[in-house]
Amino acid sequence: MEFSKLRGAVVRFASVTLIGMGFVQAAPAAMINTGYLVDAQARAASLARVEVLLARDDVKQQLVKLGVDPAIVAQRVKGLSNAELMQLEQSMDEQKAGGDILGLIGAVFVVLIILELVGVIDIFKKS
Amino acid sequence: MRDLPAGAGPLELEATPFVPQERYQCGPAALTTVLLASGADVALDDIVDRVYLPERKGSLQFELLAATRTEGRLPYPIDGTLAAIRAELEAGRPVLVMQNLSIALMPRWHYAVVVGIDPDRDRVVLRSGTERRHVTSVRTFLYTWRRSDYWGFVVLRPDAIPADVERTRYFNAIAALEQAGQLESAATAWRTALSVWPGDRIATFGLGNVHLAAGDYAEAEHVYRELLEQDQSMVVARNNLALALANQGKFGAALEEIERALNQAGDSDLAAELKDTEQTIRRMRGGD
Repeated sequence: MEFSKLRGAVVRFASVTLIGMGFVQAAPAAMINTGYLVDAQARAASLARVEVLLARDDVKQQLVKLGVDPAIVAQRVKGLSNAELMQLEQSMDEQKAGGDILGLIGAVFVVLIILELVGVIDIFKKS
Repeated sequence: MRDLPAGAGPLELEATPFVPQERYQCGPAALTTVLLASGADVALDDIVDRVYLPERKGSLQFELLAATRTEGRLPYPIDGTLAAIRAELEAGRPVLVMQNLSIALMPRWHYAVVVGIDPDRDRVVLRSGTERRHVTSVRTFLYTWRRSDYWGFVVLRPDAIPADVERTRYFNAIAALEQAGQLESAATAWRTALSVWPGDRIATFGLGNVHLAAGDYAEAEHVYRELLEQDQSMVVARNNLALALANQGKFGAALEEIERALNQAGDSDLAAELKDTEQTIRRMRGGD
């Protein structure tokens, strides 16, 4: 399990007093909540899916064409926050729904989204 | 793409309670409707007090989710498709949705409850506002729903499984219930999850955590030990095992576990949390 890059993930500690319906339940200080593990596992799965994409030849070729080292991009993807990773996956899902992600346009798009998120370029203006 | 597959016949949960809203209070009315449908014993007035913001003349989405948890129920967000609504209706659960009934420039946000779909006659049936049976065309419904980004959820009893269950989303929902302090419901939900994914590490961890939070330390210790037998590298389980041990007065064993966890964690982000646990245990023991 990859924990080393859980930067930005919410580490949930129940060191506070939890107030439920009509009773007060104090969880032990320093307990690591289940949500932490859910986040960690979801992140690992997201990273694995993006890494599969990055390992594809057409994606690598597009990166090289744009003058970017695929190894550096792969490195930076690991530094994405959970929210950014989710955004990346969502964009890719939308592509899949719209057509063939294996097509050339799909590869270019995936590359641009990844580069945008890792901060290499800034072409997608958020409305 | 958001339409139903062809061939699906009409479906309507006619027994869904009708809770007519008072002025602006569509959120409490819709929430009370789905809570009652799940068998919860709630009254509109109580829900109004918990989720209605008079100054905003409305309710926030997260308040509806939080109030659902307070009732020991699991709010599960659905995919924004008619097929997802249909699947939940088939499981007997009405779906709370957020709509924008006006145009984007002058938003008029509204919560309503989908109770029926009839694709052949192009109909969606809702408990909406003061209307017991609000019938709209599929196209109009999708148009109003789209402007909330297709936001909607169902209310699950803790022993129920979502119709089109997505594991991470479901586990997040249960983890939130756990954090809300609804330990009995969370325990039931983790056990239900384990019936779908036997031996699942997260669900097992969740069950251990519920025991730990509830003060059943021996039971928690037992669950964490089982987990670590399967996977001794599970540092989060070792952290909590140490706490379960310390709370039983077994400080020596607790510190041994936390040292081992620290060795395993190396310089990962968890190291700081483990050190925090170590200090907590030393404080509990007294001295240092």
